[in-house]
Amino acid sequence: MSNNEFDVIIIGGGIIGTATGYYLLKLNQRVLLLEKDYIGAGSTGRCIGGIRAQFSTDATIKVAMESVRLFERMEQEFGFSVDWYPSGYLFLSFTEQQNKTFLNVMKIQHSFGLEIRFLEPNDIKKQFPYLNIDGVSGGAFCPTDGQADPFLVLKGYIWGMKKMGSTFLKGAEVIAIEQGRNGTFKVISHNNEQFFAPKVLNAAGPDAYNVGKMIGLELPVEPERHESLITEGLEYMKMPMIVDYRPDGCYFVQRLTGQIIGCYTPEQRVPGKNIDSTFEFLTEMPRRMIRLIPFLENLAVLRQWAGSYTMTPDGSPIVDETSVPGYYVSIAMCGHGFMLGPALGKYMAEFMVNQKWLFDMGEFAFNRNFQATAEAMK
Amino acid sequence: MIEEDTIICRCEDLTYKDVLDAIEMGMTTVTEIKKTIRAGMGPCQGRTCGRLIAQIVSQKTGKPMGEVWNTSHRPPLKTVPLKILAGGESEQ
Repeated sequence: MSNNEFDVIIIGGGIIGTATGYYLLKLNQRVLLLEKDYIGAGSTGRCIGGIRAQFSTDATIKVAMESVRLFERMEQEFGFSVDWYPSGYLFLSFTEQQNKTFLNVMKIQHSFGLEIRFLEPNDIKKQFPYLNIDGVSGGAFCPTDGQADPFLVLKGYIWGMKKMGSTFLKGAEVIAIEQGRNGTFKVISHNNEQFFAPKVLNAAGPDAYNVGKMIGLELPVEPERHESLITEGLEYMKMPMIVDYRPDGCYFVQRLTGQIIGCYTPEQRVPGKNIDSTFEFLTEMPRRMIRLIPFLENLAVLRQWAGSYTMTPDGSPIVDETSVPGYYVSIAMCGHGFMLGPALGKYMAEFMVNQKWLFDMGEFAFNRNFQATAEAMK
Repeated sequence: MIEEDTIICRCEDLTYKDVLDAIEMGMTTVTEIKKTIRAGMGPCQGRTCGRLIAQIVSQKTGKPMGEVWNTSHRPPLKTVPLKILAGGESEQ
């Protein structure tokens, strides 16, 4: 093989590209990772680091549970801590209808052995005394969910890839992909460098649509803006990720390093790649946080920013080989790339090498009906 | 004199050696170093350490300061308590 030929070319240096690359290298593949900016410049480096297995459909729950196992073992795997901590996820319901959804979904979750409890408002007050439970009608709490530091996890994968001899180019934007008669892909970067491989993985996050277009695919994916902020630190109090399901709700967690970090989903979607931060978010988010935990009012905000959730019509990612043989996608994580990424990376690497999934991944299929039921625990 | 254990980013407790290690691993801008070892992500938001790190990176990579010091500046410009942002109280 010459030095511009590989087994797999990965486009995108976020959690998906690096985790998949890491596991491909473990399967002795020659991997090239092309990142147009720097590692973590897209969605992963902007996410708040929550990790949960509280989903509502079989494959997503299985993938998420495997991810939790991988996060638990990362310190051993990488040789340094990634600030993983099982601080749990607490979903708060404010209506009887929402309670019913929690209880229905819990049946599926329990069938996979997930330890999730339904909490009455009084149990919530007892377990999390700092919470204002006005209007709360119940909660779903999973103590094995948790958090980790996205930057440290990326560092683990990328340094691991380098140790295993992977080629990795940053500042290398892909501008064209061509497929030859023998099926080999020619990937051309902005400075007209050419790379060849029989398999390409689109892991381009918010740019997934454009990278699909290069091979003639119209992928049903679109990024939308989500904003975040982080406060100064306070003593670690094992606060779970608190998810307030009201239309004007929010979600936030205390990082292991003490800061409170959180977001809310805007009532009006903000599609597109614009990731400017807004004054509206900076003033509205504190109101929503104080409403849930009054004592937070004295904490200072350090910084606000925004990132992209790349979405599909049904709220589930697309992780599959496409109608172009040899062209794979692991895209549109719908806001769950960091938490699903390690397991999806592992499974995708095995799929690319062995050509079969370990279990039914139909809900992530390229050819599925995108108008069918949506994920209930978004 | 700057030593290996000289603290460069005091909020995140990072030493000169930590910054050198990140450069060694291929991080060639302040943004990349920030996103690899959390330099400049504490309460000072890089106001104290940003220039220092930029100098080190510039020196080690031979690239001009302006090219390596590429961090984005984001609101709020100084830390502000949640209650003031929420509009409940004015700053004294």
